[in-house]
Amino acid sequence: MSDSQHVSSQFDEDLSRLRSHVLQMGGLVETQVAAAIEAYSNGEVGSVKTIVETDRRVNELEKAIDDDCAHIIAKRQPTASDLRLVLGISKIVTDLERAGDEAKKIAKGVRRIYEGGHLPAQYGVGIRHLAEAALNLVRQALDAFARLDTEQAKSVIRLDSEVDVEFKSIIRQLITHMMEDPRTITTSIDIITIARAIERIGDHAKNVSEQVIYVVEGRDIRHNKEAAK
Amino acid sequence: MSSYLPRALVFALLTAVLAFPLGYFGQPWMGWALFYLGLGLQLAYHYRNFARLERWSRRPMLDASLEGDGEWDSVFRRLYSHEKELLAKIEQRERDIARLIAAVHVMNDGVVLLDGFFQIQFCNKTAERQLGLNATTDRGAPISNIVRQPEFIDYIDSRDFTRPLILRLERYFERVLSLYVITYAEDSWLLQVKDVTQTDKLDRMRRDFVANVSHELRTPLTVLAGFLETLQEIDFDADERQRYLGMMAEQSKRMQSIVQDLLTLSSIESAPPPENDPVDMASLVDKLRRDAEALCAGRHTIAVVSEGQGDLCGCEPELVSAFGNLVANAVRYTPDGGTVTISWKVSAEGAEFAVSDTGIGIDAKHIPRLTERFYRVDRGRSRDAGGTGLGLAIVKHSLNRHQATLEITSKLGEGSRFAAHFPSSRVVLTA
Repeated sequence: MSDSQHVSSQFDEDLSRLRSHVLQMGGLVETQVAAAIEAYSNGEVGSVKTIVETDRRVNELEKAIDDDCAHIIAKRQPTASDLRLVLGISKIVTDLERAGDEAKKIAKGVRRIYEGGHLPAQYGVGIRHLAEAALNLVRQALDAFARLDTEQAKSVIRLDSEVDVEFKSIIRQLITHMMEDPRTITTSIDIITIARAIERIGDHAKNVSEQVIYVVEGRDIRHNKEAAK
Repeated sequence: MSSYLPRALVFALLTAVLAFPLGYFGQPWMGWALFYLGLGLQLAYHYRNFARLERWSRRPMLDASLEGDGEWDSVFRRLYSHEKELLAKIEQRERDIARLIAAVHVMNDGVVLLDGFFQIQFCNKTAERQLGLNATTDRGAPISNIVRQPEFIDYIDSRDFTRPLILRLERYFERVLSLYVITYAEDSWLLQVKDVTQTDKLDRMRRDFVANVSHELRTPLTVLAGFLETLQEIDFDADERQRYLGMMAEQSKRMQSIVQDLLTLSSIESAPPPENDPVDMASLVDKLRRDAEALCAGRHTIAVVSEGQGDLCGCEPELVSAFGNLVANAVRYTPDGGTVTISWKVSAEGAEFAVSDTGIGIDAKHIPRLTERFYRVDRGRSRDAGGTGLGLAIVKHSLNRHQATLEITSKLGEGSRFAAHFPSSRVVLTA
């Protein structure tokens, strides 16, 4: 009896360590996204290098966590909510890593823009607002995962559609600019890449939230707009 | 000690005394029966009280119905008062603890109690706010699950807490926290969080100020030194010489005005509160208008709007310099053909002196920093216009000394409005 208890508490410890690792990785991704926004606003191209370096750490963590997930499944054969947690984590990790990649993409876009001249002022505010909204989504999604809070996860899913709407309006605005003045096309294309990356970060945050709901409630609400309500 | 044993013996003896004659003169079994009956009664009496005690002991609580008979009553009474004392003590302790916790919650510093694995045991409201924690849901969770910044995790993992960690929060932009980790019992850690945003900002401003002063003074000095060297080495004719000397004079005048402004600023800062002489606003506004007209030499329209009858109390030279500064700025940053409006509105609630222009305007992101020393929206343009970068800092200080606030509203390309609001205590109505 005491032996089985010991084993199960060891298992719980493994799971909670796994969760902490995921959140640690999430913290790195949050930092990347925040640094990318900063680089965009104040043109500090120097931070691009740190973002790329952080990405290496994120990738290593992704591999390590995936490895741990496989180990836990093989050794402990978790069932029910434990199994959902492990499966959910292996998907969350993929999304986080991709969000990190998008941050890297933003950073590289910023470098291209600032190397080619100055950032046209009229794009600054809209993109920054979009990026802050996306960063907020990542943060809330990770908070929801840390607390296994499905309400917050659902609110992330709702907010992501607002980010999508904002993204579309920025694209429309950029298209107008390009038509009015073809000289802005080079910069505009770079800015579209950045906006696209930000919008993708929001989507990854949404995916993480969907996994949180799966882990807690056992419902798979992907590709199902009604279920998220 | 207690009279309980003798009394029981007396009762037993009494039954025996009653039973003996009955057994002796009547049937012996009757005597025994009476004796046993007596003892049985005594037993039943004790058992009844014991049953009460037993019932109570299953759920010991302050129960007024706990009453016994005879000896049992005093036992029950003692138990009752002991229980009451205990309860009062517990209540007192609970009140003390609640008070302590309430005090911890209202502290200006965040406090988080952590166990040996850095899992959250308790956090106060300030810490909830500062770090985005939630005392109810995050209890027992590792703190690094919520505060996920890599610097923080590295700091916790290093277990080296000799220096505080300065953390620039990403959760709330622009917040700077200083974190101390202290061990207060075995395997228990206390995380103390201080908000140092303000100090950090002051530090930065001081550093910037020194750097700016040196930079501002060095630029004209470099020019001056360059010209001197040129004049020493090359023989110019009188005309060129004159031209160079003119430029040098210009640069030295620039340096002079920077030093003058710095001195003004420091004298305003250290001077005693301004006196309370009434200042004739009608003539002051008129003087400002004439100065503005002289400065713009007919390139702008200067309008004056006046509402209400009243004057200000304060130090006239300071107010003249502050208002004059605002007007001069408006003229300087308004393209030819624009309008500068000087308005003076006074009522019993307070007064407002405002200067609005139809000039180039200021981007919203610059407005909060506009009154910082040497802060410039556009370095080149400001210097061309002859500014030292200290004008608005002086204005703000002078106004502050008169309990007035400076409100800046502006729109790029449409113009700006600088308004000084004075409290009613500074206003004298002249009906």
